[in-house]
Amino acid sequence: MKKIILLGLIISSLFAGSCKKALDINSTRVVNENNYWNTLEDARAAIMGVYGLTRAALADNNGHWIYGDVRMGNFDSPNRQDLKAVIKNDLNASYPVVEQLSNWRRFYAIINAANIFLERIKEVKAKDARYTENNMAVDMAQVRFLRAFAYFYMIRIWGDVPFIDSSDDGNFENRPKTDQKAILEFVQSEMLAAAEVLPYRYSANDIQQPGNYYNEGSGRWDGALVRKLSAYGVLAHVAAWQGKYVDVINYSKIVLNDYGKASMGYVSTQDLTDRQGLFYDKKSNQLLAFGFVFGHQDATYVGNIESLTLAEPVVNKNIPDIFVPKDSILSIFKETNDGRFNIDTTGITHSQLYFTNFAGRYPIFSKIKCIQGGSTDPTFRIFSSAILFTRLEDITLLRAEAYAVLGETTLATNDLNIVRQRRYNVDHMGLQNSSSTDYVAYSRAMHGTLIEAIFKERQKEFMGEGMRWYDQIRYHKIKQNNPAFLHLIETGGIYWPIAKDLLAQNPLLKQNPFWK
Amino acid sequence: MRIIATITFLGVLCTATYPFGNTARSACISNNLLFNESFLQQTDTAKKSVDTGVVGIASPKKSIEKKLQSKGNKLDPKKLSVFPALSLQQYLKGESAGLYVQEPSGEPGTVQHMFIHGTSQPLLSARELFATQPLVVLDGVPLVGEHPFAFDIQQFKYDRIGPATNTLANINMANIKSIEVLKDLSSTAIYGPKGANGVILITTNAPGTKRKITFDSYVGLAQPNSVTTINGKFENDFRRQFYNKYTANGNYSENDVYPLYLSDSLNNAFYGPSNWNDKYYNSEVVYGVNASISGGTDRANFRFSLGTLRSGGVADDTGADRYDTRFIINMKPVSWFTVSAMVNANQIMRQRNRNVRDRLSQVNYIPDLSSPIAPNKDYYSGYLSEFNKGFDKNKTNIIEGYVKLGVNLGKFNFISTLGLDYNEGTRDIFFARTLLQSTNYASNYYGYNQRATIDNVATYDYDLNEDHKFNFSVGSIIQYDKYRYSYAYAYKGSNDFIKLNLLESDPNNGNYLQPTVFRRELVYKFLDKTRNNQVSFYGKADYTYKEKYSFSAILRGDASSNQQPTNRWFYAPVFSAGWDIKKELLADNSSVSSLNLRASAGRMGRYENFDNYAQGPQYTAFIGFTGNLISPGYNGFAVLNRPYTAGSVGYDLKWAYTDQASLGINGSFLNDRINASIDAYFKEDKNMLLGVPSGAEYGYTSIIKNGMAIRNTGVDLAISANILPAEKLFSWNSSINLNFNQNKLTALPGGLDQLIIGDRLLKIGEAVDRYWVLTNEGIYNTDSEVPVNSGGYRLSYNGIGLKAGDPRWKDLNGDGAITNEDRTLTGHALPQVSGGFNNDFSYKKWTLGLNFYFNLGRELVNQEMANRFDFVNREGQNNINSVREITFWEKRGDYSKYLLYNPWSSVAPYQANQDIFVEDASFLKLRTLSLTYDLTEFFKKKAANVQKFQVYGSVHNVFTLTKYTGQDPELVSYTGYDTGYGMQIPRTFTLGVKMDF
Repeated sequence: MKKIILLGLIISSLFAGSCKKALDINSTRVVNENNYWNTLEDARAAIMGVYGLTRAALADNNGHWIYGDVRMGNFDSPNRQDLKAVIKNDLNASYPVVEQLSNWRRFYAIINAANIFLERIKEVKAKDARYTENNMAVDMAQVRFLRAFAYFYMIRIWGDVPFIDSSDDGNFENRPKTDQKAILEFVQSEMLAAAEVLPYRYSANDIQQPGNYYNEGSGRWDGALVRKLSAYGVLAHVAAWQGKYVDVINYSKIVLNDYGKASMGYVSTQDLTDRQGLFYDKKSNQLLAFGFVFGHQDATYVGNIESLTLAEPVVNKNIPDIFVPKDSILSIFKETNDGRFNIDTTGITHSQLYFTNFAGRYPIFSKIKCIQGGSTDPTFRIFSSAILFTRLEDITLLRAEAYAVLGETTLATNDLNIVRQRRYNVDHMGLQNSSSTDYVAYSRAMHGTLIEAIFKERQKEFMGEGMRWYDQIRYHKIKQNNPAFLHLIETGGIYWPIAKDLLAQNPLLKQNPFWK
Repeated sequence: MRIIATITFLGVLCTATYPFGNTARSACISNNLLFNESFLQQTDTAKKSVDTGVVGIASPKKSIEKKLQSKGNKLDPKKLSVFPALSLQQYLKGESAGLYVQEPSGEPGTVQHMFIHGTSQPLLSARELFATQPLVVLDGVPLVGEHPFAFDIQQFKYDRIGPATNTLANINMANIKSIEVLKDLSSTAIYGPKGANGVILITTNAPGTKRKITFDSYVGLAQPNSVTTINGKFENDFRRQFYNKYTANGNYSENDVYPLYLSDSLNNAFYGPSNWNDKYYNSEVVYGVNASISGGTDRANFRFSLGTLRSGGVADDTGADRYDTRFIINMKPVSWFTVSAMVNANQIMRQRNRNVRDRLSQVNYIPDLSSPIAPNKDYYSGYLSEFNKGFDKNKTNIIEGYVKLGVNLGKFNFISTLGLDYNEGTRDIFFARTLLQSTNYASNYYGYNQRATIDNVATYDYDLNEDHKFNFSVGSIIQYDKYRYSYAYAYKGSNDFIKLNLLESDPNNGNYLQPTVFRRELVYKFLDKTRNNQVSFYGKADYTYKEKYSFSAILRGDASSNQQPTNRWFYAPVFSAGWDIKKELLADNSSVSSLNLRASAGRMGRYENFDNYAQGPQYTAFIGFTGNLISPGYNGFAVLNRPYTAGSVGYDLKWAYTDQASLGINGSFLNDRINASIDAYFKEDKNMLLGVPSGAEYGYTSIIKNGMAIRNTGVDLAISANILPAEKLFSWNSSINLNFNQNKLTALPGGLDQLIIGDRLLKIGEAVDRYWVLTNEGIYNTDSEVPVNSGGYRLSYNGIGLKAGDPRWKDLNGDGAITNEDRTLTGHALPQVSGGFNNDFSYKKWTLGLNFYFNLGRELVNQEMANRFDFVNREGQNNINSVREITFWEKRGDYSKYLLYNPWSSVAPYQANQDIFVEDASFLKLRTLSLTYDLTEFFKKKAANVQKFQVYGSVHNVFTLTKYTGQDPELVSYTGYDTGYGMQIPRTFTLGVKMDF
């Protein structure tokens, strides 16, 4: 009897453990398909994810600035061989940063996330009544914009790229490159469609976005998201890149007419260069920017211009990664009364908002210096400046450029002077003039042809904002007088090589001919 | 400490309760059986090994296993314990054929790795390393390792966050009765998928019924090897060669800059005496003390032990202290029922190195690195004293315990085990402002790894008649694994006196739980956990025919929560057979004492350690980028995205498994004077997951797919010979163990035949531990020496035309361009042959022991020298690779081996992946030289109950013979790239005593 009982106990204990429950564990580290696309919060996580990926793509290896400012730009590098290679347009060089920057994967992450969002967001709408029709429309418009933006950004860097507009989940079929013109058509139509739906501001009782967006007030969203004018602003850039200057005027007009509705305005030189100025935090004046908000613990050591440019005495780093050589500074900032930087004939700098330690071996480009929470503490190099893609001054100068190309000299001069009014308004001691109309206006005699003056102004105004390289391409396309640069444009030397890793993975890809 | 106190109390309680000295039935398993004989004579029969009525529960698994196992598996703990080791890996190094131990640093208590029969994965990161480790089973409790999931938040993955203490530093060899290294499926199958990489089975000393006290102790001194130091002048002269050769005026370009610290030859800090080594290298005292007491009756007995150990590193004031205690109790309330319980508790306090790299990777911030630490003693000690303003406390508690219930009904036996292994670690750090350019840093880590196991097994013996004997067993195992950590770090505290990250404690304050000393925005907090469970059932049948033939078959089913619901179960069989040739054919041959042939074949699932694959297509919160992995969200909201950087996971992932077969023979000859075993094995791990780089146009770095297969084939050989038998005045025992292993990649997912991952090439038919390098044939002295191809283009490297001063790399495919196509696979990071050679010479009461350890067919990449020459790129950047430690001022390597290329060239002339940096790293070490004197008889005359009394002196790591030009060739991580970070494994002199009475 004893044995039977024991046997029974033993057998039951042997098999009692076979509970299925032990084997079903929901991971706390990832979210599976069952637990996603269900609620309003999921939609928010998804759309913020697309933004986050966009920010990551631009910040990765300081790409936004290395592509835009370092490549054949104003900067030189004291010690970094990889940046020296980029400065020389030696983009096949064997350096990790150069190799990683020739990889477009992170832009396709934006596109994939956007595609998934657009395919799946209806599930949230169906399951969660809190997720309104309008919320979904505005979300989809933003996501469509970001997807188009990613393509635009890639086309500027690589030219033709594969075009993918579905998530193709789990399948991941390799695609060849598509002609950039066709993609730019897509970009333009997507951005236009988005622009029509997007509000001027969020949570600000815009008719196109009534109520509080995701239950947060306007303070949370101002400057953080894509707005109607962001879309038109980028459209102006897309048009300018293609040389469609009539379109540039059309799109930029909307921005320049309506910026009041978006609670925007032109920034002063002081605000432009302040530690807590335009580049700090999120602000309506950032027409399109991806912020590293200090209060949200986004501040980062890399992924900003400061990590490249700042050094002693602004922060405690010996030598900057990149700097503008003195000769270049002197040749760029030749005009007097410039509030950003001016130097008199005796070599004394009066206004030095752009450069610190001009007398030193390496002048520090300190226009943008959002250290920690906008502090002056040089001891901890964590930065919180936003990746600013465009702002009102940019759109204004873009329109001036378009007018100038189309021969509307007066209108172009007016636009150029809107910017000049806020920059060339200091006296010979660097003090700001009391009257806002007291500034040095454009004159052909002093400042050269209009086109040249506009591009010179762009070079100064957007230094360190990742614009210079693309400005040069547009400039040389207009001027047609620099054979070496035109050769680059014609042979595709203005593009980056496609990373070896990508070519190895996808046999349908061909290396850009210039880099073979 | 509280645990130790409690256990001590319990121990005292028990010693008081149970009378000693009951010698009525001293049927305890004799320790002496094992002593002197690592090649255990097989005396017990199938029947005997199951619980024979002695108090205590023997594992039922042994029935015919011994016949099916290689005799080379068993190790002798008594011998191992002479080595002043802290970790199990150190004890086992070079002791068992087929077990390869990697000790990448002599810093005490750091993580070390073991590989049984080669690696079953390409060792790309800590993940693969974790997945290739053998399972360690202590008294039936499977031990849990430190899960690598915490690496996900680490920018710099040198050490895992937390104390990063070796979790196998919990084995006190004084408590160990036997160690077996189980290598093939015939013996590992019952341990299931977690044992697919092999099993190390540790059995602790069981209590006896006779009162017994043991005591052993050693004291020793670890001494550094001497080093040659250099100063700024040396470095300056070295660099000047390049400037003289490649620059006109000492500047490569007008804007580059010569390092400040080398610019001023009057600067005493860098150009003065280089005597930092006086402060860095130091002799350290090491010691170990162990004591145990055991006793009881035939109905109840116990064993209690205490130990403490100090392991000292010879550099940077490193060291580790261990306190351990163990208590085991067996009770037999009725004749058929036994209860047994054990607790083994350890605490390890580790004093870690003060490397700049390790500190910065912990701090996750790179200050300006343009000047290294000065080589002058005064400056260096000033730097070291800054550490005293803060702390770096590392504490690890490791606890194992079990409760076993045994039912013995004659032929029928049942054992139920509840086992628990738990290890927790804390690391508390404060670094003062002076260490980080006026930013102070505080960090706190607490994390644990835990494995609970419920293991039930029932066995039944059935003897049809004298010739046919059967044993059946069925078992079930449920394992619950849980890993967790909480971690926070903060910068910029208000001063250097408040060293804690204090939070507001008043719930009514609006700032409740917000940091008060450190800035809220600069306090980073992390919580993470992962769990996984395994459910297994197995049935096993053993059959012996006339004690000549034995067969065994196991069929098991395993389910893991880390597998997708549709593929949760994996069923696998294992068969093994043995043939006693001696009994069959050579019964009358007196020169052959035993001869057995064994064979086994089978399949076993491989356990997946990460829980994300089970989830199918998934979303993660990661939106980081290069240099910032911990981006918390966008605009203050958490995000969810596809796992673009971790790799896409689909719905169809399946179990990986291993197919293994082995054939072995062991025999003893000439009255057991020669024992030998040879085992040939075949091990192919199949269908393993690999992130295949693809899907870039969908945003992914890789797509996770099944289908990688890696085959390891080889031979384990173990021979021991009693060259001069013990009966003589002078005796000599010699034994050698070695393993020859060949690794081969046999399949890649999706039918690919090769795959590039980082700077590695995985190619079918080649080993996965090879380097992928360019062939260097010299230097181009002038531009005109560079060959021009038919198209008129100069030979190029990745599209860049080669120039004077660039290396003459071989264009293997002759296409006029040096690309990845021109790289070849060469060398092996893991040795092809490794093993040990041990000799014991005895004369009267004296014994002289010599233990050699060797690796053959192993190569290293001398990254440290490549870095030296690549100073332009290393110092041009300000990142973790620009760090120069104080050991930068130590002369290592042979500078004359390398040509002077143009270091400013953009073709990376000093990239490590070229054949000039690959070096033969085979070596032979005299690991232990020991001299023992046995005083047992002397003391026996004085006190009858002295069973053993020995004193010994030993020297460890006596010398190394190698062609390698860098540091000790052992001091290299699994990658095979010698970065120079390995800390010397010290030469240690010890004096010890062992007593049993």
